[in-house]
Amino acid sequence: MALKLEVRGVGKDFLLPIIESISFRMEAGEFVCLLGPNGCGKTTLLRIVGGIEPASRGAVLLDGLPVQADRRHQRHVGIVFQEDRLLPWLSLRDNVTLVLRPLGLDGAEREARAARYLKLAGLQGFEDYYPGRVSGGMRQRAAIARALAIEPDVLLMDEPFGALDAQNRRIMQQEVRRIWAETGRTILFVTHSIEEAVAIGTTLIMLSARPARIRELIRNDGSHERRKLIDDLNAMIMEEVQRQQGDAS
Amino acid sequence: MRRYRDWAGRLHLPTLAALAVVLAGWSLLARRYGAFVLPAPWSIVTGLVEIVRSGEIWGHAGASLGRIAAGFGSAVAVSLVMGLGAFASRTARGIVQDLLAILNSTSVFVWIVVSLVWFGLSNWAPIFTTFMITLPVVASTLVEGVAAVDRRLLEMGDVYRLTAAQKFTAIVVPSTLPYLLAGMKVGFGLALKVSVVAEIFGVTSGIGYAMNYSREILATRMVFVWALVMILIMVATDKLLFDPLNRRLTRWR
Repeated sequence: MALKLEVRGVGKDFLLPIIESISFRMEAGEFVCLLGPNGCGKTTLLRIVGGIEPASRGAVLLDGLPVQADRRHQRHVGIVFQEDRLLPWLSLRDNVTLVLRPLGLDGAEREARAARYLKLAGLQGFEDYYPGRVSGGMRQRAAIARALAIEPDVLLMDEPFGALDAQNRRIMQQEVRRIWAETGRTILFVTHSIEEAVAIGTTLIMLSARPARIRELIRNDGSHERRKLIDDLNAMIMEEVQRQQGDAS
Repeated sequence: MRRYRDWAGRLHLPTLAALAVVLAGWSLLARRYGAFVLPAPWSIVTGLVEIVRSGEIWGHAGASLGRIAAGFGSAVAVSLVMGLGAFASRTARGIVQDLLAILNSTSVFVWIVVSLVWFGLSNWAPIFTTFMITLPVVASTLVEGVAAVDRRLLEMGDVYRLTAAQKFTAIVVPSTLPYLLAGMKVGFGLALKVSVVAEIFGVTSGIGYAMNYSREILATRMVFVWALVMILIMVATDKLLFDPLNRRLTRWR
């Protein structure tokens, strides 16, 4: 398999050191879940990988080229945020076609692509709805369709189902897994839910308490017994949460 | 019962009932004090019919609206420039906000007197006064709107590499338009009130002039008629211009 993304010694200080040093590699088509206690720097790491924030040290290489927190960089990264971040005054279709404009596609191509990815995300028939008129789960599906529509080199997802109820959350996990299988995209997925990570990821990365480093990297290839894996990870995250809280007091 | 209430609400029945009581009281007082102090309600309606028939209403209302268009229109234009400035730079936003706070606390009368000194007895006095009074109202709501643009949406625009122009038209404009419209609605009401006051001095046309002239020739009835004209213009612009525009802009809500 081809190396897609390399995180090389990335660290970030913001008044305090947030991320100590993190290195890992992602093969094309991999589905990596980043786990860790709340506030340990998962989101910051994702933002650095996405080129939204600069790293204090280290480098992120996408297809061998460094990612810079600079809009001129010709990266192709789709991001699904914790919130849907759809424009409420545009229909779901127009929300998707908008982000296709900078790619230089003509109108017909943009429409066709938007229709294709909205359908893939299970939104066929809702293309002309405004975001305010559909459910939170559907809005998050539209945000996923938008991120996929640019056919990104890597798809970053930052606790995308955090705002959803338990049932919708489970449905969306299956959906993401299916979309991943159908499109073969490389996905980096941040979550603090161990069950979620074990259910969908091919590789699990457990981060430590702040300042973050990698505590454990686990191949979720079925060789581990699922129940035991969840228990082990739960024990690990409890330790880190306690350490982080002890640190704060 | 509920159906009846819906209908009653839609026809403003309670308001109409209150109005009937006020009109009855007004009629009694009018009879007691005479038409010179308080003309009867009905005579005001006939007065309105008279100025519509004679065509007098169009000349004066047109003159007032023309001055409002000039003063308020330029206030909106300058507000747009200020809004753009506030969007482009944080420093500019601070300067604009401080400036508007000063303008906001300046009395109508200051501008009337100042403009009489500067422009003399001319059209420019009401125009300038209207401009100076409505500018802070429109501009401060617009600047507030610019400040309220969701940074997370702009960040989304950056992630998907939208150009500055694309971000401006797709994100900034739609999210500030409701603010601009709200500011314009309040600003227009203010413009009407202020320009009429300024018209008392030095011009020979407009609703304010007509009102003051009526007072001087002891035609109290016509003072009330012109006040009614003002109210009608106000209600008409709200219902026919601002409300439909606002509904159209917020279709997505």
